[in-house]
Amino acid sequence: MDAVIFFPFTHRTAETVALKMAGAIIENMSTKKLVIVGVILLLFQAFSFMVGGLIAPSPTTAVHYLATKCVDAVKTSEKDEWFMPWGPDQCSKIRDFEEATAKRIEANNIVFAVHIPLPHREMSAWFQFMLVILQFDIAFKTHNQIEDGAMATMDVRLAYRDDLMGQWTEMAHSIEHRKLNCNFTTSKTPENDGRYYECDLLPFMEVGSVSHKYYLLNIRLPVNERKKVNIGIGEIKDIRLVSIHQNGGFTKVWFAMKTFLTPSILIIMIWYWKRITQMTRPPVLLEKIIFALGISMTFINIPVEWFSVGFDWTWMLLFGDIRQGIFYAMLLSFWIIFCGEHLMDQTERNRLSVYWKQVGPIVFGSFCLFIFDMCERGVQLKNPFYSIWASDVGTELAMAFIIVAGICACLYFLFLCFMVFQVFRNVSGKRSALPAMTKARRLHYEGLIFRFKFLMLVTLACAAMTVIFFIITQVNEGHWHWGGYTVQVSSAFFTGIYGMWNLYVFALMFLYAPSHKRYGDGQSSVGDQGGNSGEDIQLTTTITHVDGPTEIYKMTGKEAQE
Amino acid sequence: MLFLALFSANASNWLYLAKLSSVGSISDEETCEKLRGLIQRQVQICKRNVEVMDAVRRGAQLAIDECQFQFRNRRWNCSTLESVPVFGKVVTQGTREAAFVYAISAASVAFAVTRACSSGELDKCGCDRNVHGVSPEGFQWSGCSDNIAYGVAFSHSFVDVRERSKGQSSNRALMNLHNNEAGRKAILSHMRVECKCHGVSGSCEVKTCWKAMPPFRKVGNVIKEKFDGATEVELRKIGTTKVLVPRNSQFKPHTDEDLVYLDPSPDFCDHDPRTPGIMGTTGRFCNKTSKAIDGCELMCCGRGFHTEEVEVVDRCSCKFHWCCYVKCKQCRKMVEMHTCR
Repeated sequence: MDAVIFFPFTHRTAETVALKMAGAIIENMSTKKLVIVGVILLLFQAFSFMVGGLIAPSPTTAVHYLATKCVDAVKTSEKDEWFMPWGPDQCSKIRDFEEATAKRIEANNIVFAVHIPLPHREMSAWFQFMLVILQFDIAFKTHNQIEDGAMATMDVRLAYRDDLMGQWTEMAHSIEHRKLNCNFTTSKTPENDGRYYECDLLPFMEVGSVSHKYYLLNIRLPVNERKKVNIGIGEIKDIRLVSIHQNGGFTKVWFAMKTFLTPSILIIMIWYWKRITQMTRPPVLLEKIIFALGISMTFINIPVEWFSVGFDWTWMLLFGDIRQGIFYAMLLSFWIIFCGEHLMDQTERNRLSVYWKQVGPIVFGSFCLFIFDMCERGVQLKNPFYSIWASDVGTELAMAFIIVAGICACLYFLFLCFMVFQVFRNVSGKRSALPAMTKARRLHYEGLIFRFKFLMLVTLACAAMTVIFFIITQVNEGHWHWGGYTVQVSSAFFTGIYGMWNLYVFALMFLYAPSHKRYGDGQSSVGDQGGNSGEDIQLTTTITHVDGPTEIYKMTGKEAQE
Repeated sequence: MLFLALFSANASNWLYLAKLSSVGSISDEETCEKLRGLIQRQVQICKRNVEVMDAVRRGAQLAIDECQFQFRNRRWNCSTLESVPVFGKVVTQGTREAAFVYAISAASVAFAVTRACSSGELDKCGCDRNVHGVSPEGFQWSGCSDNIAYGVAFSHSFVDVRERSKGQSSNRALMNLHNNEAGRKAILSHMRVECKCHGVSGSCEVKTCWKAMPPFRKVGNVIKEKFDGATEVELRKIGTTKVLVPRNSQFKPHTDEDLVYLDPSPDFCDHDPRTPGIMGTTGRFCNKTSKAIDGCELMCCGRGFHTEEVEVVDRCSCKFHWCCYVKCKQCRKMVEMHTCR
């Protein structure tokens, strides 16, 4: 019944290398068990979507601020005076600039003040980050139009305090330039005076941690006619700011999820590595890359963000970017190598250097994005008002980085598609040759094909889910009402997709771990062969030596009965 | 009965707040009692929300300014009186002009209150309408709702209170309520959606969108367009509820955003001492070459016009700063001015 075939390998071709990775758990699992695993994973998947959709609030909040126009009456030489828009020691305000003209107040004496947050609210470390966007309200005046390429120069100061009665402490002070990108949609005639220009949003400020309760922004637009500073910027009516921060509730749910996911991936990783080390041969490339994928996933998962609640770590935003970047690069490399190792042609691979053509673009592209990120968020650690997009050179540089990264991405996907195509071509070639092969070789190739197709299917499903959900969140407005519940679509997207890729890595490490079912314990499965579903094909490939001359194939079930 | 009808028609009396610049800031509850133009219910709202009243007053001023801008070329140019009601008898009838005034004033209150919220002048914007309550935990957990929701809700309770207090029975009340709502819709349906991407390296993986209020000039333009295409309606009873339906059944029914009116407008040609607010067009400037309503033919109602050559001192080759500083030369030029007889 239990046929054990000793298959002597007389000609040592490159195929032996391909055979090395043979015998993953996924092939040895019965369909029933596979279905059970699949269902459990799906349950976790649904759970991760539900956590985001039902428990968490929307991921971010945008708050509008209208800058209060304060008057710096005495033009204090001391620089450390702060102007409060409201509250007990608020500045002397003017409502509009007609009032200023009447009172003979000059532009240099006007300070735009914004207090973040609005009254009776407090910022919190749970907000993780805060970005502020600035928008000028500029009225069209026939005689005072915005000049081409006009640049606004702002003297900006940021301060914080943790106590409503306390003193303000300066956090940053900078002179910033922003290009006004405004257009006027109607005709520029006197009767349209007073209509507003439509101006682009200007990136204004980005801080990577919100460790203080109250923030105060003081913005001046100094005029210097000789140096052409703030000349020809039109008639500014108002400055509006929008601050964006992560919602505390979302942060908490997110942290909880990370805290839960870290040990689960870590455990499976350790288990996986143990499996590999138990084998007599050194791990092959594919096994290493799967392990590396697990490491990068754990690297993202480890909830170091917990520290940001207690410490003022502004680099957390940058660190998060780097972690995500490493994971993406790893995932993309994994797909290439997985395809390559399943090519089933007669080439020896199993070395990373073979894949330089495909992995090169990934590394180069990620490196470009890393440099770009360092230029933007890295510099922001020093000066929160910095924006690479503010200057022409910076914009060109940033665009160059992004375009190069984009080209790399395109190149990568071309390679990947070509490789997948090659695999399928070889698969169909092997298919026709299958009946002619010996049983062992046939089963080996069937195993390879099944493994490849399974991962291909799962990967496509995951990628499709990601894309579909991404589109839904882009198209849809924040939340759906569903029965009595409000489903936060974008939160569900984040937790669901995050959970999904975690489960993907988890499943990968579990299912593609080398099976250690040796022929010794294989015999035990003979007994329940009748009990198991008869369609099960269990194939174990074990290589006793690295380039061992013999392969032991063991078949049970119907195959054996044949 | 007559008294009641007059009383209800003057529901825009609160616009008189715009004229109360002498009062200074409305800072305590006692000032509420002294404000002219408010009905009892509005005084109560004033007392409960004293800090909002400055914004309401700015709203009233905004409404009048915008009305005067939009109607600058029409026979009725939104001229105000120094008495209650501010626009005189023009708004006491259910005319198109009244519809415009109601819509623009409801919109302006929502607009001004929302702005006040954003500049931190008000204490209870947005957050108190959130499921999680006013508590700082609510703001920390999920943020607060948009300020515009508060602005619109306040406009709803303050501006509409007069019509609501008597039950929605009379056709005038229904018309006013409809136009108030249309005014607020003019803001709500023209909110600009703006987005910012802030994912990895600033990619759109994470994107936050918000709605920004349109400039008030745009709101004024929208309502003016609705004014030009306003629907004449009449009261009809359908079942137990009374609704406004177009008088001409051939017209397609009006939407929530359209303005409706009950009575045709007077021609506004002549000054009528019995109806304050209608100044007539005598003495108004007109455009000789235009065939539209600002043309001399229509503006002067066929009475003809004077033409005189006037020397106008104009500013030219100016130097501007973004605020408060203009240095100009004076240029003189001769202009032909036409005034209605």
